[in-house]
Amino acid sequence: MENMIEVRDVKKYYKIAKREKGMAAAAGNLFNRKYETKRAVDDISFSIKKGEIVGFIGPNGAGKSTTVKILSGILYPDAGEVKVGGFIPYKQRKQYVKNIGVVFGQKSQLNWDLPLIESFELMKFIYKIPQKKYEENLRLFSKLLDMEEFINQPVRQLSLGQRMRGDIVASLLHSPEIVFLDEPTIGLDVVAKERIREFVRYMNETERTTIIFTTHDMQDIEKVCDRLIIIDKGKKIYDGSIEEIKNRYANIKTIELLLEDGRKETKTFDVSKTPMSVVMESLFSEKNIKDITLCESEIDSIIRDIYEGRVILDDLEAERN
Amino acid sequence: MRAYLEFAIKKFQDKMAYRLDFFMGIVNTAITILVYLCIYRALYGNAADVDGISYSMVATNFVITLGLSNAFHYNEMFLQDKIRDGSITNEFLKPVSFILRLLSENIGEGAFKIIFHFLPALGITILYTKLCPPESVLGLFAMFLSVVLGYLILWLISFIIQTWSFWLFSVWGIITIKNVFVSILSGSLLPLWFMPEALRGIISVTPFESIYFTPVRIYLGELEGMELLWALAVQIMWIAVLGLIANAFWKKGVKKLVVQGG
Repeated sequence: MENMIEVRDVKKYYKIAKREKGMAAAAGNLFNRKYETKRAVDDISFSIKKGEIVGFIGPNGAGKSTTVKILSGILYPDAGEVKVGGFIPYKQRKQYVKNIGVVFGQKSQLNWDLPLIESFELMKFIYKIPQKKYEENLRLFSKLLDMEEFINQPVRQLSLGQRMRGDIVASLLHSPEIVFLDEPTIGLDVVAKERIREFVRYMNETERTTIIFTTHDMQDIEKVCDRLIIIDKGKKIYDGSIEEIKNRYANIKTIELLLEDGRKETKTFDVSKTPMSVVMESLFSEKNIKDITLCESEIDSIIRDIYEGRVILDDLEAERN
Repeated sequence: MRAYLEFAIKKFQDKMAYRLDFFMGIVNTAITILVYLCIYRALYGNAADVDGISYSMVATNFVITLGLSNAFHYNEMFLQDKIRDGSITNEFLKPVSFILRLLSENIGEGAFKIIFHFLPALGITILYTKLCPPESVLGLFAMFLSVVLGYLILWLISFIIQTWSFWLFSVWGIITIKNVFVSILSGSLLPLWFMPEALRGIISVTPFESIYFTPVRIYLGELEGMELLWALAVQIMWIAVLGLIANAFWKKGVKKLVVQGG
């Protein structure tokens, strides 16, 4: 099948003015400013097929949002090629943005003082959505996201969860082929998160909408996405299914020990290298153990280990290829 | 086109959401006008006219210039705030022109203020003092046209300075200075009739005279026939010149943002 999104060797560097401490340095800065280069996106390539739903994760400042901004046509890459749905986003922006929907979880696009429904009406005119389709979509979305009770309230009176649902609907009313959701569940409670996840899944399954989803919540990824891309320090460090990363990691076990004298200890080891029986044997012979707990390798802790550099994904990637 | 009309209508509705603002707007406009009228009535004393300008003409000048400048006031920090908090990116994700969208919204706000702030304040002013009646029906229509053109000139000057927020951390100071220049040079502080000849000459080659003073003179019948057409042509010329400058700054600013990152 044809690729919906093609990203090849994309780079984006920022020039940041360097400020030094002290009065003399501050005065010096006025005349001779020094810059340093930050590599926000450093040679990233991937492709996404139509109807795929891809989770984009990485620690803060990893380059996720920059990548999304390049994909949605807001930023020029410094090098590399980007093609989305046949368009070069940053070159053909006006034409291109008709086909996409973007939600920046931290920046609302709704009209603060007017009832939610008025912002939706505005979208109808901006995107020239036919009346019939507009009504259909609105009815469906407000049912799925349970919006009937607050659709006539001014946006400033809405809770964060309600506002976010409003924002998501506003960016999907024109039935875009591709949707970018940048942290759409940030700061929401469990119920609101769940509702948004279900909705995203539904849109993907029924409309075959291609979706890129960035988040810090691994539950989002597990429940919504088929595929996971991890970036860190501007580089792609993993691209594959969630199952795969879990299976790879399943060999690494963490055991919590409670000793006779009340102390707690944790041990991490790789069962593919040292069999479980050997590990147990040596542990029991060395220490006075009262209790033992085997910790499940949750995706959450796996990701934490990856971010903190305890697991080097290069090995996984190398093995896979 | 429909989308831009909707932007204006939505902004109009937006303003209606605040009741206190609605009443205070009338009071604010009425007081601004009445204070100036009191000062000039005292200055005139018993004199029928000063330099051939009657008190009624001065009063009419202030009702139009101050009333309109109150109505044409809007949040000039809009673009700066959008750039600072990064929500400017949302604007690039819509298949509409940001300049026209902002203009539509500001026109929607202006229309609201003319109907709900200016007209009631005008009613209050008429109770206090006698104004000059319009010179002719044609003149009245020409004035409305001239007010619209004047608004566009004022708006473009403001927009040009707003675009500087792509390069500067804050444009608040520059906007404040600009507003002082506008109020002095457009005749909303001192009617331009009373300006020294030399200064008047300088002002006449700037866009400021075209903002409020041209509509005032058309209303009072000072400009007729070819003179009137020439004044309108000058207004249109300024719109074209400022429009080109505004567009150039905007394009450069956007380019800087998308190339260097937001």
